[in-house]
Amino acid sequence: MAPNLSHRQTHNLLLISKLLSLRDTASPLTLLLDSLEQPATPLVKEYIRRAKISKVHVTLIAFETLKPLDGVDAFVSARRKSPSQIVKEVGAAYQATAAKASSPRRLILIDSINPLLLSKTNDAHSQLSTFLSSFLIPPSPSAPKVEVSLVVTFHQDVPSPPAQSPYSPSSLSMLIYLATTIIRLHSFSHILAQKAARDRSLAAPVFGLEEEQDGVLLGRLDKPIGKDSTEGIVLEMEHRRKSGRGVLEWYILPPASQYSPQHLKEVVTLLDDHPLYRPPEEPEAGAGEEEPESTFELRLTDRQRREREGVVLPYFDAQQGDGPGEGGRILYDMGEEDDFDEEEDEI
Amino acid sequence: MPTQPPLPPLLAPYVSSLPHSSLTVLSSVLGATGNWLVLRFLYAALSSSSNSETAFGLNGSDGVKNRRVVLVSFLRGWEFWRSEAKRLGLDLARLTDKRQFAFIDGLSELFYNTTTATATPQQLFPGTAAPRTVLPVRSQPSPVPARTPHPVPRPGNVSTNPASREIGPVKRLHLSGNGTAALDALERDIATVIQQLKASTPGEAEEPEVLLIVDQPDLLLAATGPNKGIGATEMGDWVMGLQQNTHATILTLSSDSPLIHNASASAPHPATPLETEHAAFAIGSAHRAQMVMQLRNLETGAARDVSGVLRVSKGGAWGQNEVGTEGNWEEREVLYFVQRDGGVSVFGRGE
Repeated sequence: MAPNLSHRQTHNLLLISKLLSLRDTASPLTLLLDSLEQPATPLVKEYIRRAKISKVHVTLIAFETLKPLDGVDAFVSARRKSPSQIVKEVGAAYQATAAKASSPRRLILIDSINPLLLSKTNDAHSQLSTFLSSFLIPPSPSAPKVEVSLVVTFHQDVPSPPAQSPYSPSSLSMLIYLATTIIRLHSFSHILAQKAARDRSLAAPVFGLEEEQDGVLLGRLDKPIGKDSTEGIVLEMEHRRKSGRGVLEWYILPPASQYSPQHLKEVVTLLDDHPLYRPPEEPEAGAGEEEPESTFELRLTDRQRREREGVVLPYFDAQQGDGPGEGGRILYDMGEEDDFDEEEDEI
Repeated sequence: MPTQPPLPPLLAPYVSSLPHSSLTVLSSVLGATGNWLVLRFLYAALSSSSNSETAFGLNGSDGVKNRRVVLVSFLRGWEFWRSEAKRLGLDLARLTDKRQFAFIDGLSELFYNTTTATATPQQLFPGTAAPRTVLPVRSQPSPVPARTPHPVPRPGNVSTNPASREIGPVKRLHLSGNGTAALDALERDIATVIQQLKASTPGEAEEPEVLLIVDQPDLLLAATGPNKGIGATEMGDWVMGLQQNTHATILTLSSDSPLIHNASASAPHPATPLETEHAAFAIGSAHRAQMVMQLRNLETGAARDVSGVLRVSKGGAWGQNEVGTEGNWEEREVLYFVQRDGGVSVFGRGE
């Protein structure tokens, strides 16, 4: 068990490190499934931070962001634009900003794909795969090879429009089918609350919109001060290898305030290794002494033990064979606390 | 109960400093409306400048910014906001004259067709609306008394005096056409008012901060809908366009259960287009907001001394940009009570 666990640990930590740092284009299309309870913003910022360290060119396609995030090289506002226009602008923005430092790697972020899917004017639903793959495929065969990683955020709680045809898949199924890595985001404090409920065999609590309470959009509240360690986001990752084999793992990303922007070592850890999720097992106390505990005093004092040893049991007396009828009599020495009863006692 | 301060102290940090180019979503339900909170936003932005006349030198030194407010209301008319603000001590008509405030009426003539209006004779509103319309707006040197918008649009009765439309303190929105073109026209109208407000004081070096409050734009979505080519995405883009002109934007939206939860995947029935679009617009706006203020009823039922619950949460866009000290606020849930005189007390549970 123990070597198995450590193997999984090293292996899966290497994998998430590779995915977040965009090494070897391990995942061309990553899908981030977030919700109001745990927005993808911290993870997107972590992507940008790592891209900056390894000098990756970052493009942000903004469907709902007004101001460019820190560290973004090219910012393309997708407001009121058709998919083909966006593709064209992204290409132009890359040409304009990447000319000086032609980086062999690119990261393209889409802050939210939902507005495109809900759009009335352009039939984006049917063009979804074309739209996404047009970023990944080089514009011309002669162009220098650029490794592109696409990270798309999808808000799970925003309802999807009804499908045009009853036989076509929903846009979320389409995205999940296309993605090479899917990361679902959870809030760590919610995961802890759900685990605590499961451990006691209770129904896991739900938060925010899932409460279905009138007027509640967001359930998240800051934890009281002093419990900083419950900050952080839980990543439920599903990675599909080229071979088709899937890898499932749960990780935790600590809040950005806990490490410096230049931090190079891996900050993500396995959820199972987090002390709050799986508290270290306490060494068994008092394993040597097997004594039942009770409110009664079951042990004997020294005097009681001595007196018990002094009692001669009847069958020893019977074996002495003082004569017929003598053996088997119960011989009892009266103590000072005993009363003599004429009817019962005979000497 | 003693008279409440216009701005309850618990509420002050949330309504007074909004970060730059931020979106704040204020969601309310039928039983817990958000008008009082909108008025508190108005008060926080406008009162410091109006006080500086009376208490001169007290407020001027502590870095009070030059603030202007544009209020676009799709559900309530000018008269409502003017009288409600008066109870707080804000004279909106005077602030309009001073070019610190502008009201845009998205209710009265939103679907008013100018071509039919000229054909119908001028006609006053019958019944209850009539006495209210003759109230003149103070200090407005106009030959015709400005008409105040009536509270409920009635088909057939929507004609007003064409002359009065221009001179009142109120800019009225008209929706014509379909889809994004219609929304673009509305955006242009609102942007013009914002620009006028910004440009009204050329003497000052610092450009005023304009706070835009859009009151219940979900009416626009509900009244047009997918048939007219307006959906959640188009509305979201429209709000984004408005945001580009302003310092901060506040959006009030309805979040009643049927409008939000009927469209969720777990709902038993397929959702109607309105339910889908409204939920997508409201939830999508919450994703784009830095701060979400949610008003709802007390879970334990009605109480005599509590009107509802206010929960302030960090929206989906919180933490996107480093906003410095303005971004440091705590999520919180408090109770509030709106008194008969319009005063509001805000307190924690059990206080």
